[in-house]
Amino acid sequence: MLRSAFPLVSHLPIRPRPPPVRPYAASAANPPPPPPPPPPASAYVHLPFCRKRCHYCDFPIVALGTSSPHGDGDDPRITDYIRLLLREVAATPPVSDDGFPLETVFFGGGTPSLVPPSLVAAVLDALRARFGLSASPEISIEMDPGTFDAAKLRELVGLGVNRVSLGVQAFQDDLLRSCGRAHGLREVHEAVGMVSSCEGLQNWSMDLISSLPNQTEEMWEESLRCTVEANPTHMSVYDLQIEQGTKFGQLYTPGVYPLPSETDSANFYKIASKRLCEAGYNHYEISSYCKTGYECKHNVTYWQNRSFYAFGLGSASYINGVRFSRPRRMKEYADWVQRLENGAWSHVSGNAGMKDMAMDVVMLSLRTAWGLDLRSFNKSFGRSLTESLCNTFRPFVETGLVIAMDMERRALHPSDLELDLQHEGGIGSRVAFIRLSDPDGFLLSNELISLAFSIISP
Amino acid sequence: MATATASRLAVPISNIRNFSIIAHIDHGKSTLADKLLELTGTVQKREMKEQFLDNMDLERERGITIKLQAARMRYIMNNEPYCLNLIDTPGHVDFSYEVSRSLAACEGALLVVDASQGVEAQTLANVYLALENDLEIIPVLNKIDLPGAEPDRVAQEIEEIIGMDCSNAIRCSAKDTAKSPLRALIFDSYYDPYRGVIVYFRVVDGTIKKGEKICFMASGKEYVADEIGVLSPTQMQVSELYAGEVGYLSASIRSVADARVGDTITHASKKAECALPGYSEATPMVFCGLFPIDADQFEELREALEKLQLNDAALKFEPESSSAMGFGFRCGFLGLLHMEIVQERLEREYNLNLIITAPSVVYHVNLADGETIEMLTPKEYIGPIMELGQERRGEFKEMNFITENRASVVYELPLAEMVGDFFDQLKSRSKGYASMEYSLIGYRESNLVKLDIQINGDPVEALSTIVHRDKAYSVGRALTQKLKELIPRQMFRVPIQACIGAKVIASEALSAIRKDVLSKCYGGDISRKKKLLKKQAEGKKRMKAIGRVDVPQEAFMAVLKLEKESST
Repeated sequence: MLRSAFPLVSHLPIRPRPPPVRPYAASAANPPPPPPPPPPASAYVHLPFCRKRCHYCDFPIVALGTSSPHGDGDDPRITDYIRLLLREVAATPPVSDDGFPLETVFFGGGTPSLVPPSLVAAVLDALRARFGLSASPEISIEMDPGTFDAAKLRELVGLGVNRVSLGVQAFQDDLLRSCGRAHGLREVHEAVGMVSSCEGLQNWSMDLISSLPNQTEEMWEESLRCTVEANPTHMSVYDLQIEQGTKFGQLYTPGVYPLPSETDSANFYKIASKRLCEAGYNHYEISSYCKTGYECKHNVTYWQNRSFYAFGLGSASYINGVRFSRPRRMKEYADWVQRLENGAWSHVSGNAGMKDMAMDVVMLSLRTAWGLDLRSFNKSFGRSLTESLCNTFRPFVETGLVIAMDMERRALHPSDLELDLQHEGGIGSRVAFIRLSDPDGFLLSNELISLAFSIISP
Repeated sequence: MATATASRLAVPISNIRNFSIIAHIDHGKSTLADKLLELTGTVQKREMKEQFLDNMDLERERGITIKLQAARMRYIMNNEPYCLNLIDTPGHVDFSYEVSRSLAACEGALLVVDASQGVEAQTLANVYLALENDLEIIPVLNKIDLPGAEPDRVAQEIEEIIGMDCSNAIRCSAKDTAKSPLRALIFDSYYDPYRGVIVYFRVVDGTIKKGEKICFMASGKEYVADEIGVLSPTQMQVSELYAGEVGYLSASIRSVADARVGDTITHASKKAECALPGYSEATPMVFCGLFPIDADQFEELREALEKLQLNDAALKFEPESSSAMGFGFRCGFLGLLHMEIVQERLEREYNLNLIITAPSVVYHVNLADGETIEMLTPKEYIGPIMELGQERRGEFKEMNFITENRASVVYELPLAEMVGDFFDQLKSRSKGYASMEYSLIGYRESNLVKLDIQINGDPVEALSTIVHRDKAYSVGRALTQKLKELIPRQMFRVPIQACIGAKVIASEALSAIRKDVLSKCYGGDISRKKKLLKKQAEGKKRMKAIGRVDVPQEAFMAVLKLEKESST
């Protein structure tokens, strides 16, 4: 028994500790590290406040009402929450004692731009005190049109925020209204003007949603045109998901009028890919586009299956191989923070099963243009699983939904995968990566990834 | 245990009664059995649960009896102890084979008739079976408390139809044959993983003692009876069983083939001269392909079928392979319900994932199996029932009024028309009042064609069906349409064609999925997304890959669904 256990041990991904400052710019092109990942160098902070709930949203948010459009330093709901958040940060032990400062911080929501900059500063100070911040961290914040002015933006940039994600969603007043957004087109243009002209802010992103009710192809083309004109460094294009329990969930059925048909909706996705790539953006992840070098480093952490801290209501962390989602209700979240402080709750290191780890790697890496690193997968999960995965994808390599790539991520001919599969242990000799094609493979990612799941866990 | 043995010995052999209960499904047989168990104190009131003898989960859920069960009850009358062995029997038409087995082990039978409904075809068939076996029959009118009960009418009906005096007295004798060589008839058996095959039998002649060396006359195999006992209704060890008694034995028998139902047990040292007449083999009526979804489960499926067969003598199977479905078995069942029960038992008790193909009947080239079917119905449903007979290519044979209000309608029709949903249709068209009985009459000549189905260009034998030439086009069209509904769309376009030989007679196509993407991973929370993808993966695992197409179980039953929809 013992003897047979040793080879297994040597397969365990025990990695030499990475250097304290990780070269992020290059990391996007590197294979995802095998699990479990090194200590977190990223932190997600959830700021749940919104003026009102959008009709498609099922997120843990706190609707403030419209009384204080630019946020209000005195709103006790905000100050109380920030106090709770600071307690959670203070009670969270760093995974590593030495030399792992945060490389990325992401303020997500909700509508983080509703929180007064002084409180954002307090959170950043707490993170810096607890975990340290690297010399040039990426600090992102989500902002919605109509919730900030130029002064507030300057103040945030002054605190070190260097990346803004602007929640535009659409360039048509009718569409914005119908999905319950708290802003109109005028606020969109104002916000774009402020963000693109803000001194000290080179990196900003814009969100759009496709397949909204009553959205036509013309409207979608118009939104994409306006986006390209605004020239952000990054774009997130989301396909509307109809979630249970939302207003849209009650009103609409996917693919049924007034929602676009499945064919139209697929077409919107293809149009976005075409227009944005023509405009010089790289489609680096299913719903993300960027100018070269402007990948969202924080999100890349997720796709590469690396660990990250998370703080705040309903947020999900991935520490020591354990994914944990905090309570989504304020009362329960407050109780949980209390338990964390009392030491009654700890981020224990858990042993996620190999199958689950393999699923995470496949599910996350196949969302990206870099694809799945077969050699690294082979090393972590064994040759037979890697081969069955390739065998399963083989017909889709032939039909062009899946692309086999060499070490330099150049697309290979399908026959190269055949040749690798014909030789025992041949996987990895020609084909080093497989990815889903853009846009056809990305569009069917659920089908293709769940197919891989059924192989990993038969 | 000691007291149990002592009190058992106090019962004179002349006071042993082996009996079964004949009743139509739902006429209250299991309830009556429960009451007998309770009144004789066999089962304490607090242990009592409904349908005590139906100990398969499946039996309780469906409210039916599938396996026959035996229970020994003690009863004191006029200071005389009696031993009553109740052999409970299934009521559904599919399980008449089990009924015939249990009747052969009895001297008497209670004929239970629902006083609010009357005599049903199935009941009648079993009564005749009992009369053939020389059983004493005591009519029991049940459910007289119901508002619609008409005991007088039903009693009259019994007298008219069966010709039986409804004030019949009990008369029973167990022959005293303790001195003759042992002959005991095996009427059931099952496999216990710890004790081997457990055999249920009735001692006809002689006695059997614990520790004796016994011989199974048909197989010639000899074993030592390690344990013998009675069914009370759970197994209770005894040291000896006498002629007339029903019991069980275990003898570390590893193979069912050594102790087949119908075989005779005798002593190895003092063999009986001839075996008892055994039961006739059950004839399967419906044949289906049974294939594991995961090819690796083929051997497990074989073992499971072997074990089930031990417990279910009517189940027949032989290996079958098909290019589309891989390795599996062609199985014979008594009817559709029997088929469903076997499938469910295989999935639940043996943890197998199965694809079962639509039932078909055995064809000889150009000849179709035929049968006569007798349906009993209240007179107001004669019309709809004759319509059904006509629709199913039936040839009307005769109609008799059994009583003023009930008629018997006889048709000859191809078995293929019956194996689908005929019984369900009969019930729905008569609001549940009609019942039926069928028997095979042999092969008839017919103008038939084989309708093949191709999915994505691959022929799928499991979906092939034999139809009358006149129906080929309409069935082909309906079947391709139904398959289009049942097979989920794939990542590519999938043509579905019905062909006769090389000629395509109907064609449909599944369009390719255009989009299936989850776009946003909010704040790195991948758990929900992963759950959805896992669920999607589970769905794929429940399907059978035919070429590159994932086909769900329902699709293999498409032919059946077709009939249901076209006739309702």
